Amino acid sequence: MTPTAAADPILVGAPTPGELQDQLLATTWGQGGRGWRIAFAIAGALTLLLFGCIAYTVATGIGVWGNNVPVAWAFGIINFVWWIGIGHAGTFISAILYLLEQRWRTSINRFAEAMTLFAVIQAGLFPLLHLGRPWFAYWLFPYPSVMGVWPQVRSALPWDAAAITTYFTVSLLFWFLGLVPDLATLRDHAPTRRRRILYGLLALGWRGSATAWRHYRAAYLILAGIATPLVVSVHSIVSSDFAIGLTPGWHSTIFPPFFVAGAIYSGFAMVLTLVIPTRAAFRLKNVITVRHLELCACLLLVTGLLVAYGYTVEYFIAWYSGDEAERYQFFHGRPFGPGSFVFWAMLACNILTPQLFWSRRLRRNVRVLFVASILINVGMWAERFVIIVQSLQREYLPSGWRGYAPTWVDLSILAGTLGFFSLLFLTFLRLLPFVAVAEMKELRAELAHEDAAHRGPA
Amino acid sequence: MTRLLAEYPTADALVGAVRVLRDQGYRLEAYTPYPVPELDRALAAPRSRLSYAAFLLGIFGAAAAYGGQWLISAYLYPIDVGGRPLHFPLAFVPITFEMGILATALGAFAAVLVLARLVVLWDPLFEVDGFASATGTGFWLEVRAGEPDVDADIRADLAATDPVRIAEAGGPP
Repeated sequence: MTPTAAADPILVGAPTPGELQDQLLATTWGQGGRGWRIAFAIAGALTLLLFGCIAYTVATGIGVWGNNVPVAWAFGIINFVWWIGIGHAGTFISAILYLLEQRWRTSINRFAEAMTLFAVIQAGLFPLLHLGRPWFAYWLFPYPSVMGVWPQVRSALPWDAAAITTYFTVSLLFWFLGLVPDLATLRDHAPTRRRRILYGLLALGWRGSATAWRHYRAAYLILAGIATPLVVSVHSIVSSDFAIGLTPGWHSTIFPPFFVAGAIYSGFAMVLTLVIPTRAAFRLKNVITVRHLELCACLLLVTGLLVAYGYTVEYFIAWYSGDEAERYQFFHGRPFGPGSFVFWAMLACNILTPQLFWSRRLRRNVRVLFVASILINVGMWAERFVIIVQSLQREYLPSGWRGYAPTWVDLSILAGTLGFFSLLFLTFLRLLPFVAVAEMKELRAELAHEDAAHRGPA
Repeated sequence: MTRLLAEYPTADALVGAVRVLRDQGYRLEAYTPYPVPELDRALAAPRSRLSYAAFLLGIFGAAAAYGGQWLISAYLYPIDVGGRPLHFPLAFVPITFEMGILATALGAFAAVLVLARLVVLWDPLFEVDGFASATGTGFWLEVRAGEPDVDADIRADLAATDPVRIAEAGGPP
C-alpha cells in the first residue's frame, strides 16, 4: 500500500465489532426519514406510470412506440442495453475485485450487487415488451411443443436470452449467498417477533459453524470465479446482437470489448449516483469513505479511456475500410445527420467528464463526483441511442432512410423503469443490511490485527 | 448425546481453546460470526470438496447445452439458412458457455445448502441462552460428548480454557 492509502482508511475510526454491527443493522430497524419517504413516493408514482404504460402497450400494440422501419429497435433496445450495462459494475465489484483481494469492495459490494439485480430486472422488461406479443415470451426457451418448432440457436437472440437468464440467476444466487450470514444476524438481533420469523425463514437456519463457513467460502469463491467470465460474456453477447448484423456502424469486431468497457463504465457511474446520497442519508461516511469514492472515480477514468479508445478505433476502421456506407455513417450521419446533438452529447459526457478525475482533488469532491456520475450515465444512454437509432436511420440505400422520434409512451416507460429501479432499491435499503455486516466484521478484525502487528515490536 | 458449549470473547481466545482441547482428544465444532481461517487449521478441518460437485454439474450443463443445441438445430428442426451448416460449433459456443456457468452456480449453491446443513427451521442450538451472539460478536466452541458421566471432566477442561460462559444443548435434531 502507498503512504497516501494508509493515511486514507477504508474504515474510519476503530469501532468495536458490536458498534459496527449496531451501526450497520440500524438501517433496517430505524425509520427511513423524510427524504426516504419522499423518494419512495416519487418512485412509486413512476412505477405506476411504468405499469400503466406497459398495460397500454400490450393492450394496444407496439405501434404506440415510435419504432418504425428501418428504426425497428429504438428505445426498447437502447434501454435494454443501458440497464444491463449498469448491472455490470455490481458483478465487477463483487466478483472481480473479490478475486483480486481488493478490500475496499467489502463496504460497497452488497449495495452494488443489489443494483445489478434491480437493473437486470429493468433490462429484462424491454426485450419482452419489444416482442410485440409478450405473452409468447416463452417461445424463446426450448420446450417440446406440438408444433415441433424450436428456437434458432444459430441466431444471436437466443444467445441473449441464455446470457440474461444466466446473469440474473447467478447474480441472485451470489447476492443471496452473501446475505445468508447477515440474515442470521438479523434473525438473532431482531427487535420484534415478526421480523425474527421473516429473517429466520430467509436465513435458512444458518448457525455459523466452522464447517458451514468452510463450505460457504468455497461456494462463494466458485461463484466469484464463474461470475468473472460471465460478466465479460454477457455484454459481449449483447454486442453480438449488433456486431453480427451488416448495418453500417454495427458490423465491427471491436464491439464486445467496447461494450464491456462501456458497461462497467456506466455501472460505476450508477454506483456513485446511488452511494453518495445513501451514505449521507444513513450516516455511513465512516464505512463508505471518501477513499471508496475516489477508487470508483479511478475506475471511471480507466474505463472512460477504454471507451474513448473504442470510439477512436470505430472511426479509424470506418475510414480505413473504405466502405462508402460506413464512411457516410461515421463522417456525415452521426456528427451532422438527424439527432446529431445526441452524438455530441455522448462525446462530451463520456470523453470529457472522466478527464476531471486526473485531479486528486476533484476525485475526492463528492459534489463533482455526483454530477459527473449522472453525466456519464446520460452519456452512456446517448451512446446506445447513437449506435441503434443513428445507424438504423442511415443504412445502405438512401431510399430506405427514415428518421426517428420517440413517443410519450417511450419516454414514460424509460422514466418508469428509473422509478421502478429506485422503488426496488429504496425497499432494499430498509429491508436488508446494504453493507455486508459479517464481511465488515471480518475486515475490521483483519485491520485491527494488522494495526497491532505494525505497532508491536518488529 | 449432549453438546457442551463455551463462549469466548475473541477469535484468538477461541482458536487458543480449540488448540488446547484438540490436544486432549475432543471432537470439536466452532461457531463464529465471520470466517476465521486460523480456526480451520486449529480444527485440522479437511478442504471443502464442494468444488467437485460444482465442477461436475458445470461440465454436465455445458455438455447438455451443446447436445441440446445440436439436437434442435441439426436433428429436430433443421432449417437451411443460406446454406449455413446445421451443426455449427462456433454458433453453439455462447449458449454452451452460459449454461455451463448456470449449472456450476446452481451446483455450488445446492452443494453449500447440503454440506452446511442449511434449510432447517430449528436447531437445538437456538434454545441455548446467549447463543444468538454466535452471529453477533461472540465466538462459540462445541464439544460433543458421548457419555453423560464424562461431562464433568469436559466441563472442567472447558473451564480451564477461560470461557465467558459454559452452556449445554440437546443432541442434533
